[in-house]
Amino acid sequence: MTQPAPTDLKVADTLDCSGLLCPLPVYKTALALGTLSPGDVLELICTDPGSLEDIPAMARQRGDTLVGLEDRKGTQIFWIEKGRST
Amino acid sequence: MTTDLREATLGTNASLRRHDDVRELLPGVANPTPLVRLNHVPDRPLDLYLKLEWLNPFGSVKDRAAAYLLDGLRRRGRLDGRELVEASSGNTAIALAALANLEGTRLTVTIPDGVPEEKKVLLRMLGAEVWETPDDLCPVDHPKDGAIALARSLAASEGGTRYALANQYENPDNVRAHYETTGPEIWSQTEGRIRWFFAGFGTCGTLTGVGRYLKERDPAVRIVAIEPQPGHRLPGLKSFAEAKEPGILDRSVIDEVLRVDDEPAYAMTERLWSEESLMAGPSTGAIVHAALQVDIPAGDVVVGISPDSGRNYVSYFAERLGDRGLPQI
Repeated sequence: MTQPAPTDLKVADTLDCSGLLCPLPVYKTALALGTLSPGDVLELICTDPGSLEDIPAMARQRGDTLVGLEDRKGTQIFWIEKGRST
Repeated sequence: MTTDLREATLGTNASLRRHDDVRELLPGVANPTPLVRLNHVPDRPLDLYLKLEWLNPFGSVKDRAAAYLLDGLRRRGRLDGRELVEASSGNTAIALAALANLEGTRLTVTIPDGVPEEKKVLLRMLGAEVWETPDDLCPVDHPKDGAIALARSLAASEGGTRYALANQYENPDNVRAHYETTGPEIWSQTEGRIRWFFAGFGTCGTLTGVGRYLKERDPAVRIVAIEPQPGHRLPGLKSFAEAKEPGILDRSVIDEVLRVDDEPAYAMTERLWSEESLMAGPSTGAIVHAALQVDIPAGDVVVGISPDSGRNYVSYFAERLGDRGLPQI
């Protein structure tokens, strides 16, 4: 499951949730996105396979956009662009 | 770290109500919370008593569970070098935070949507870290239990070395607290004459523990559970149409489940304040409203739990009151 991120992506902040089990990464991601401005991109690192379902669903639910996803041998990296209304 | 100066004091003397340690105020058969009869709200002769759990030292029925949960964790060595974490709509966390302070440990609480600001402030005053958690936190698998899921994930993360989960929803120590204290207190205070017991669905420690104790003493005692409607605003109560049933719930001790809407629960809470001068919280209103809907024979002794004080819900009451009680010019 991979969705290449745009090559010109500018990351505003990185959140490392390695070792944390869902829903903890979801909770922390929502907090981190809350500190960003609309259009900013959050890079998120997770190791819980549940994140592959939870994080895209959370982004959809909040009105943010998942602009990239890489699943690298047990480590998932997400790039989420903060939406206008979140 | 606080200093312990107990050796310099007069010493505990329970008959003078002088105590060296606030934990000595925790309830039990020798120190029960009061039963108070309702003399104005019932519309017919009825021996309906409320057990005023808000007179516990940390303000609610959850003082009992918290003390037992903490004691169990300590005995099993789960507290060694760990902080506490728990999912709570406030009252369990408040008691846990207070007791944890005295143990020199710290509480992180995951608190669900709909908990009034008052409780969150009380928790922070007690030194707890408060993580407000939306009920629908888990976007994929989303029973209305985001706070519980978050507390579990905190306890499981970092190899389980940082946090010990009190786990009031699954921990039999919660039931034991009520089996060993609340149940025997009620039996003793009613001189064995209790016929009906009313309490709300929440963690179900009270219903299961008290229900089990009373049924063992007299199988004819009717145990009635009060359940709110989905989407309710009655903190501390749970609708199992939207939340998972706690593992400690034993339905075999429950004779009947009554569902209560928010409006009559809040209306009854107002009546408890204005007619009985009992400053109880909305879950007490729900329990009393439900009890008054049941056809209870005259002379039967009825006990309902009054889990906490209305002082925890002042902001809710202010919304409800609007400009009532203010001068109208």
